[in-house]
Amino acid sequence: MKIGGFFCASLRALGFIIVVLMLAAIPALAQTVDVTDDAVNAVAKRLYCPVCENQPLDTCMTEACARWREEIRLQLAEGSTPDQVVANFVAQFGERAVGTPLDPVLRALALVTPYVLAALALMLGVFTLIRWRGRRPVSTPAASIPVSDDYLSQVERDLRGK
Amino acid sequence: MLLALAASGYAVVVSVVGARAGRAALVVSARNAAILAFPLLTLASLMLLIGLMTQRYDIAYVWQTTNPSTPDFYRFTALWGSQQGSLLFWCWIMSGFAAAALVLNWKAYRRLMPYVIAYTMATLAFFVGLTFFLENPFERHWIVGTEVVKAAIQPVGGRVPTPTEIGVFSESARGLNPLLRHFGMIIHPPMLYLGFTGMVIPFAFAMAALASGDLSTNWIKATRGWKLIAWLFLSLGLILGGRWAYDVLGWGGYWGWDPVENAAFLPWLIGTAFIHSVMIQEKRGMLKVWNMFLVIFTFSAVIFGTFATRSGLVESVHSFAQSSIGAPMFFFWAAVTLVSVALILYRWHRGELKDETHKTGLLSRETLFVLNNVIFIALTVAIFWGSFGAPITSELFMGTNITLGAEYFNAVTAPLFIAMYILMGVAPLSAWGAMSVGRLGRALLVPLGLTLLTLAALFITGTTSLAALFGYGVVLLAGYVAVYETVRGALARQRTAGEPFLRALLAIFGRNRRRYGGFVVHLGITVIGIGVIGSTLFQVETQQTLRPGESLTIGDYALRFDGMVNGAIAEDGRVMVIANTTVLRSGNEIATIRPRHDIFPARRQEDMNTMMIAGAHSTLENDFYVLLVGWTPDTATFKVYINPLVNLVWWGGLVLILGTLISVAPQQTLPSRVRARVMAEAPA
Repeated sequence: MKIGGFFCASLRALGFIIVVLMLAAIPALAQTVDVTDDAVNAVAKRLYCPVCENQPLDTCMTEACARWREEIRLQLAEGSTPDQVVANFVAQFGERAVGTPLDPVLRALALVTPYVLAALALMLGVFTLIRWRGRRPVSTPAASIPVSDDYLSQVERDLRGK
Repeated sequence: MLLALAASGYAVVVSVVGARAGRAALVVSARNAAILAFPLLTLASLMLLIGLMTQRYDIAYVWQTTNPSTPDFYRFTALWGSQQGSLLFWCWIMSGFAAAALVLNWKAYRRLMPYVIAYTMATLAFFVGLTFFLENPFERHWIVGTEVVKAAIQPVGGRVPTPTEIGVFSESARGLNPLLRHFGMIIHPPMLYLGFTGMVIPFAFAMAALASGDLSTNWIKATRGWKLIAWLFLSLGLILGGRWAYDVLGWGGYWGWDPVENAAFLPWLIGTAFIHSVMIQEKRGMLKVWNMFLVIFTFSAVIFGTFATRSGLVESVHSFAQSSIGAPMFFFWAAVTLVSVALILYRWHRGELKDETHKTGLLSRETLFVLNNVIFIALTVAIFWGSFGAPITSELFMGTNITLGAEYFNAVTAPLFIAMYILMGVAPLSAWGAMSVGRLGRALLVPLGLTLLTLAALFITGTTSLAALFGYGVVLLAGYVAVYETVRGALARQRTAGEPFLRALLAIFGRNRRRYGGFVVHLGITVIGIGVIGSTLFQVETQQTLRPGESLTIGDYALRFDGMVNGAIAEDGRVMVIANTTVLRSGNEIATIRPRHDIFPARRQEDMNTMMIAGAHSTLENDFYVLLVGWTPDTATFKVYINPLVNLVWWGGLVLILGTLISVAPQQTLPSRVRARVMAEAPA
């Protein structure tokens, strides 16, 4: 930071005007093609902002996302189905642009793995239950000390010493 | 901070030496040093707070998180508004928990204490060291020649800025991140930190049990209150985080399956499994190894979540910027987990963690609790996989970045949540040891009948979706079981003691707070479940552009656009663009709401922030939630959601908190007057 890089009121005002114009331009663009906002958002909901990680495209407020929503509108207006639009975005930006991968290998990896892991957890639980039912009661292990009282601990230590 | 680091480091070494050498004086000295860390960190936090409140812009953190127009309230909350301050705040809370645990448990659990000191202080020392050396909130601006340099210690050839130069800093100060200027966000982080850091106490006691060889239920008794307190704060943090997202993030929902949200949810899930599982060890002496794993993995999940949020591992609306603490945090997480697991395996191998009982019935409560644990662990694994596992695996081994969104999480977690609610309904009706199908069936009869009656009423009143009816049925069963068991307990008391019903109800809560507090928690989870089903399955939305005087319709509601208020300036300098709208239902005006955009001006355009603040008309039935998503001089574009039953999520959260408070309240079986007399009469 250099001394002299002072706060500039005019710059602030200019920035404000740019943002207002930027935001104002969004609905203006929206009216250029006869596809409803709801139809656009239905597709955008399935996509993720390629710039801001983990941000669904229908809710992202950046200028880039506004442009991508317009891109969706254009593709829908040209006759693409929602699935085709999603596929086009994945082709353009990669699998991270969609909430669940379209690539069959990645999709299987993503969706099947948790079920496999859950099945393993279930097997572990079942194994524990079978073990419980199949074994006789055992006595309390010698290492357990039921009371933490200093005196009792000392007595136990002494006894072990003998 | 340096003194706190020294005190905690000293406590670690001296407590272990004292325990090994059997020298009580050394352990007492370690305890005193551990307790001393708390006032030292309190002082450090106060110093930073004073810097924030008195606008010391020569301190880099103050310059980074406030500016002259920041209101005092937000100056206070800026203490945890960015990485460095929040780490110091984290250390302060952790030292408070450690000091309280040492003071309150000192006499009762002397054998465990040296190791409790060692583990709590080792964790504290790590975090204080991290804060001091890598993310120091007391770094200042120094003048070196014509340059401004940021450093904790005065650089060679550097000088302290003059008051005029500090005035210059104030003009370029950034101010608090606008996302944090919300009530939910003000108390959401402290609640989460309390929940996270509170988990260090059960972890330390478990590790102390493993290290000392006192593997009785002492560590469980000692941590009973601590784990519930930590769980309470974690629950509060998650609920408040959801409320903040709903109000501020502008997407009409409260849970976006964002990786950082999920990172906070993981320790909650494992902690909940532990709260249930530990009862089996207390009652039946079973699952000793499993409980150790759960308590350790709860803390491990806390450290991992902190690492994920603060290291830049994942990007999210919550994440702190990428920083240098990633690698040390990762190694600390790995070390904590590996050492803990190694200790468990060591004791297991020596046969010291054997279960005391093995025999149990197929429908016994312990069997159902094991299944409950399977569900919680499966949920943990599925959410971890979706948030971190799959994206990292695909990037490392397949060279592809993927994002798993709501579609994945809804598909994978929904069946597990259904199983969780079913077990929540059935398990409390079962008995320890053994339970026959007939007895369990008879116990289920009343709650099941009430559930079916409610479902019939819902169907008649227009809820015809099979998915919704099934979801409501599963959730309602759990709630009815909680209510039924509580009422049954009160009626039994009423019969035996001849008390009025309300008095009997209060009496059973007083006599067994854990059990009945638990039922209240289950009721809270039921209410949340109803809210989640309603707001997820029946949410409707539309987006339309209107001219003043025009309306849009959604369901039996209409929204009329009355006009814009442009450029209103708030006290803190933000510029507001407000849309005046009226909500109508069946043609009648029911509310006026004002969705708006807040624009936070900044010196540089890239620092400028805009926030979309929703306007909402809230009833228990639904939220009519409106966002102003764009505008021109003649039009405004609105995104409107109807979120049915969404407010039950918050109300359910309150019930859950109430139930936890009941459970955590100390059990008092005798009136204090009687106890005092007994104590006085007892031999010395």
